[in-house]
Amino acid sequence: MRSDSTAAHVPKPTLSQADLLYEAQQRKSRQFRTNVSLSWGILLLLLLYLFSGQNFLGLKTIRLDFEFIRDNIGFIAGGIPQTLLVSILSISLATVLALLAALGRLSTIPPLYALSTFYVSLIRGTPLYLQIFFFFLALPQLGIVLSGMFAGVLALGLNYGAYMSEIFRAGLASVGKGQREAAIAIGMTPWQTMKRVVLPQALRFAIPPIGNDFIAMTKDSALVSATGFVHEVMWRATRVGRAQFHNLEALIIAAMFYWVMTILLTYVQGIIEARLSRGDR
Amino acid sequence: MAPIVRISNLEKYFGRLHVLKQISVDVASREVVCIIGRSGSGKSTLLRCINFLEEPSFGTIEVDGLAVAAGERGKEHRQLVHDIRLKTGMVFQEFNLFPHMSVLENVIEGPVTVKGMDRSKAIELAEQNLDSVGLLFKKDEYPNRLSGGQKQRVAIARALTMEPKVMLFDEPTSALDPELIGEVLNVMKKVAKDGMTMLVVTHEMGFAREVADRVLVMADGEMIEDAKPDTLFSNPQDPRTKALIDRYRTGNN
Repeated sequence: MRSDSTAAHVPKPTLSQADLLYEAQQRKSRQFRTNVSLSWGILLLLLLYLFSGQNFLGLKTIRLDFEFIRDNIGFIAGGIPQTLLVSILSISLATVLALLAALGRLSTIPPLYALSTFYVSLIRGTPLYLQIFFFFLALPQLGIVLSGMFAGVLALGLNYGAYMSEIFRAGLASVGKGQREAAIAIGMTPWQTMKRVVLPQALRFAIPPIGNDFIAMTKDSALVSATGFVHEVMWRATRVGRAQFHNLEALIIAAMFYWVMTILLTYVQGIIEARLSRGDR
Repeated sequence: MAPIVRISNLEKYFGRLHVLKQISVDVASREVVCIIGRSGSGKSTLLRCINFLEEPSFGTIEVDGLAVAAGERGKEHRQLVHDIRLKTGMVFQEFNLFPHMSVLENVIEGPVTVKGMDRSKAIELAEQNLDSVGLLFKKDEYPNRLSGGQKQRVAIARALTMEPKVMLFDEPTSALDPELIGEVLNVMKKVAKDGMTMLVVTHEMGFAREVADRVLVMADGEMIEDAKPDTLFSNPQDPRTKALIDRYRTGNN
């Protein structure tokens, strides 16, 4: 500190008790994070070691055929765009259906209310796997032939839409009665109130859970491989795995791809969520 | 002169609960009318019936020549209700600003979306009104960055920008911290001074006494008194009015 006449009276800058407590707290949480990361690393190494084929202390580990992995990893990775495509198409369909179902659920018109609850009940009461087969295998009997992709997206979209309608219902319910009244009081029609005031707030509420469901969807999209005509990650893994009796390696490769995809998507979702909560809530 | 608001034989039931009983009131243009009463007396419901936020059970509401009878249905009825809402501005206890819009967007929303006003013209009008409530400098902020008093002043500007004939205030200061009440009351005084017709449901006896031309007292769904503030506060006729005034007096001192 540069000295002048008044500086003598200024007390030396010391850390207050609050600062000290805050620092201790920070140190503790830093330490926690470091230890968690270290433990993750150890677990990951253990997992790798389990598949290393090495013998250590008399423990036999699993020996993988790395030649097979090298030859086929590219083929399986080639399914990633398909996996993402199925997921994106399905989540889009699901979002639209979920919003409609939620609006129907809030409707005072009996047929609309019934349609919404009927749809949700029917879809949630039957297995997703069955629904995929239904669209792909059962409908052709009625002369309706859907491509594997179309049947898969339809089934996933319908299924997720039924579950996601709850998200929108909660989102719409999160917009207080006062908001609607304020809109009505300035003369808005019910449609304007919905479009300008209620929906924008409900959608903001719904975006994080939709992100969650999208991540879940990337994994459930594997079920579409059952149709045999959508060449996404799971289909490719089972194909080469079965053909060469290397299911172990093939499924491990697929699992790694799904895992990495969900980690990346979760990371992206975290960024979006942080951005949403920062602004003008 | 014909009254700008005429409430005739208004009745309101919530289920079996009879909350408004035979209410008839005329309000003249440029008149400031305060409605006081204990909570549950029906004063807010009365106010909310005027712009049909509550559907009256019986009776008629007339605003600036548009008369709507209770119990009507259909397109014509909806159009009349809509027109009445355009003639009335409402300010709520809980402000009810739109949180996803900036202050300016909140204020121009009605004129642009509902009236189809040209955006630049709406902005001009909005800025005038924000200026008159002293918040033009906050026009680009979002509501969550404002204090309660500021939010309510924006809500007043929002209602004024619809250029209503009548302003309805539903306990506009009841959700505010005591130190923020004054700024809102000052804005309301200014609106009154500019010649706006106002109906104000309030617990602020000081405001009623100073600003109101008439004070209505509600109790148990009935209007028990309708008098000039001087008369009412110095010489209340009904014992319930006297109790109400005494309670606020002791509460404030």
